[in-house]
Amino acid sequence: MYGDLGLKLVQHAKRTQSLPKLPPYQSDIVRSVTREVRDLDRDVTEILEPFNGHFDPAEEPATACSLLVRHLCMRRNKRCLLAYHRARAEMIEGMCWSGSDLPEQAQASQNNMAEEGAGIALAEGSGVSSLSPEEEEYARQYEDLLAAYKGQWTDIDLTGSLEPPRDLFIDVRVLKDAGEIQTEYGAITLTKNSQFFVRQGDVERLIAQGFLQKLN
Amino acid sequence: MDIDDLLQELDDNKVPGGTRDINDLTQSWIAERTAPEILPFQTALLERLMERIRQQIEFVETQTGNLDPKTNFCLILIQTELERVKFLVRSYLRARIHKIDKYSIYILTTPSIRGRLSPPELSYLKSHLGLLNSHFLASFLRRFPEQLRRLDDKAGGISMVEEPDLDSAVFCKVVKDIEDNIARIPGTDAEFRLTKGDVYVVRYSAVREFVLRGEVELI
Repeated sequence: MYGDLGLKLVQHAKRTQSLPKLPPYQSDIVRSVTREVRDLDRDVTEILEPFNGHFDPAEEPATACSLLVRHLCMRRNKRCLLAYHRARAEMIEGMCWSGSDLPEQAQASQNNMAEEGAGIALAEGSGVSSLSPEEEEYARQYEDLLAAYKGQWTDIDLTGSLEPPRDLFIDVRVLKDAGEIQTEYGAITLTKNSQFFVRQGDVERLIAQGFLQKLN
Repeated sequence: MDIDDLLQELDDNKVPGGTRDINDLTQSWIAERTAPEILPFQTALLERLMERIRQQIEFVETQTGNLDPKTNFCLILIQTELERVKFLVRSYLRARIHKIDKYSIYILTTPSIRGRLSPPELSYLKSHLGLLNSHFLASFLRRFPEQLRRLDDKAGGISMVEEPDLDSAVFCKVVKDIEDNIARIPGTDAEFRLTKGDVYVVRYSAVREFVLRGEVELI
């Protein structure tokens, strides 16, 4: 049935919003829906062909109706596709903002640790990217865009926590070895299972990335 | 004008500039988070605050080596204050970015709203829209028939462009005496009078003009 696949995409999009991780890109469905649109468009052209551009809906209500249905189907499919891609794009943007490793970055860092720098290569396991190639490209570009915008506000750290700060210093526990960090009170070596009383601003990033846990 | 007004004026003048800026920032932040549409960017205010933040950071940096307990305590106060102001600015900017992302085409195509963005925000908006557009094109739109590739279709009576819902409810407080103080609720013939000190829950569209003029504050 026309439209079934579009609905499936929307359901995927809806489900995606409540998932912690981006599920794999449904390239098959996307391709089928796009093909459906092309088929519908061809139908429309075929139906209109005998009229040579002089189609009067009032004379042929049946043809007009089938044209209308096809037009609406195409538009609906387009909206479904857009909704699906937009929902995913928003998730990708969210990941850029929170600084969590994008799946494709994890992959890249497995292949080429040196290029990633920083040495924070999280092995994401599967090794298969859940992003489409276009989405990977989008993620990369968005990250650049974000960095450019952030650059205007260097003192603020736009991607920092959106929780109102309560204390200047907090207790943290180290969940994963994170090497040495520099603070204004000297260097701290973060070894697993140790506990520190540090300035929140210094370790925010590491908390977001899951190296440290904040203790109450 | 009675004694209360005089006292009020006195208070307004007595508040030092820095404190007033922080109050203004807090107010802008609250307004930005509650208003359905994007509000004018507080260019001058943000500039003053950023300058002060820079100064404070510098001061903290020069004083860190100081072992005098009194200065040390001072520094902690300053840093705490800094973190708080930074949080306000960050949250303010993020609230704006959120709206910019959500209503991008609407903002870009409505000149009066577009002027409310700061230059960096506008360039962010444009590049982001460009990115999304090329992403959609690359993903599926390029395989579409020509006439279906646009992102701002209005065919079929449904506009694809998402617009802020100006009729959503807001809490607001009248903070100034207003001369022409009748607020009308669009689409109905309901009217009400805005008296200083009043608190209302109304549709944003009814008080929009007053909010933009600073006579009514969102709370």
